[in-house]
Amino acid sequence: MIKIEELNFKYNDEIIFENADVEIPSGKITVILGPNGVGKTTLLKIITKSLKAQATKGFSFQNDFKKMFYLPQNASCPTGVSTFDYLSTVFFKNGWKWFLNESEKELVNKALYEVELFDKKDLNVENLSAGELQKANMALGLLSGADLFLLDEAVSNMDLINEIKIFNMLNKLLYKEDGGVTSVLIMHDINTAANFGEYFIGIKKGKKGKIVQARKDEFFTKENLKEIYGIDFEITNLNGKIYVQAVG
Amino acid sequence: MKKKGLIFLILFSGFILSLLLSLFFGLEEPFRGDSALILSMIRIPAVLKAIVAGSCLALSGMMLQTISKNPLADPYLTGLSSGAGLGIVLSILLFNGINYSIFGFLGALISACLVISLSGFSKFSITKLILIGLSLNLFASSVISFLILLNPDKAYSMTLILTGGFSSADISNKTLCLLFVILLFICALFIPKLNILRLDSRLVFQNEQGANKFNILFVILSAFLTSLAVYSAGILGFAGIICPLLVRLLLGSDARILFFGNILAGSTLLLIANFISNNLIYPMQIPLGVVVAIIGAPFFVFFLVKKGGAILK
Repeated sequence: MIKIEELNFKYNDEIIFENADVEIPSGKITVILGPNGVGKTTLLKIITKSLKAQATKGFSFQNDFKKMFYLPQNASCPTGVSTFDYLSTVFFKNGWKWFLNESEKELVNKALYEVELFDKKDLNVENLSAGELQKANMALGLLSGADLFLLDEAVSNMDLINEIKIFNMLNKLLYKEDGGVTSVLIMHDINTAANFGEYFIGIKKGKKGKIVQARKDEFFTKENLKEIYGIDFEITNLNGKIYVQAVG
Repeated sequence: MKKKGLIFLILFSGFILSLLLSLFFGLEEPFRGDSALILSMIRIPAVLKAIVAGSCLALSGMMLQTISKNPLADPYLTGLSSGAGLGIVLSILLFNGINYSIFGFLGALISACLVISLSGFSKFSITKLILIGLSLNLFASSVISFLILLNPDKAYSMTLILTGGFSSADISNKTLCLLFVILLFICALFIPKLNILRLDSRLVFQNEQGANKFNILFVILSAFLTSLAVYSAGILGFAGIICPLLVRLLLGSDARILFFGNILAGSTLLLIANFISNNLIYPMQIPLGVVVAIIGAPFFVFFLVKKGGAILK
């Protein structure tokens, strides 16, 4: 679990967060919603410590995760490298080796299997589809030992089928035997988010630093969505399935 | 995998062929009929310098292209070569020849640091990098030209540095080989780390601030390589940009494979260029840089047009 209290952050003079409290529960898929430019990516960067929050008195940052992995939208990939070699890149960080040893190869194969790319391991990465490439990138995260994935619009450019495949995979990773992986996603498609997410963080437009966060059933109310996006929504709840439609 | 093996075989046989060609053919007039003397006095030193300069430029270009994630980065365009050249020219003027390579290295290192820090270390802006490198390149070359004008007595050795040519350094073969082997060994130690830099730099693996550390390391290594190249063959453009790109087109982006590919391709290019520059309009010598560009450009453009989409996207 990550728990941030009294988060303050500004870019130059523009206040992005003011005394905001943020919580990311373990073992759930968390979705961050909000219009463009309210600070969704900023929030993730504060969590990875790429950006530094203002050090105020009440500020506290509590983190139970071992390691995080941040994945941007449209990450670039090298050419002429097989998926297997692409993933093995992670292991060159330490030591002076020229080749992977057997146990490391085994780990790469396991990660490929976990992201359902095992049959594509000899294919060059540039020939993977957008969805498969993001899966390969997530396998990089798995190999690096991360137990928290921060996916910055990582599924936004995908067609419906690939999006659903990724969510099914993320759901599986939550219950991985050797330690589950919690995911946090920034998304724009509210319906898909409502379908797959369990915990929601909404960042409000115009009211800087105001954050709404709740579990799914409490989060999707007309009032919350209007506060976040500034327009009216119609919400239908069919046996626990939530459908959201914007009204003008 | 099979295809890569075949390409390696072609590169290797190309290298051997050009090596034999430059060792055993040529139009130099024999000194008193003694062809062994030609071999040891003229051809072997030239061949050694071609191999050293070619491999160093290609490796340095490959490192710069990988760390900047920009196919345009090379020792010439980023101003490294001219910086090293300026360092060497200054040492010719001030110290009468000793410590060539130390000054060359300092020059290359200072220009590398200047260019890379000015264009933003982790967030490279392509335009900025090229413009700053180009300015530095022009600045250093102009200072060299100016120094040549001021010192007509040492003009010849300094001009050779500026236009490229193998006779500029009177270093013994042994020292050159020793330096080269040491450098290659250091490169071989670090080369697998270059693979890490092929990942998108925006990916964050928290608790590891590794990438930046390796950036600096490879900048220093490429400065070393460039200074040795400039030291043995003067300032040569183009070799450092086409070899890494061509090899990457053919062999993919695994730094461990590219390492050998670049050594072979770089040496072959300079060996052939050296042979042509010595023998095409004998007894005149065409400046090496001119030959490299004339044979390199068409070849390179051909490959780029045919299958360049992959690396330029």
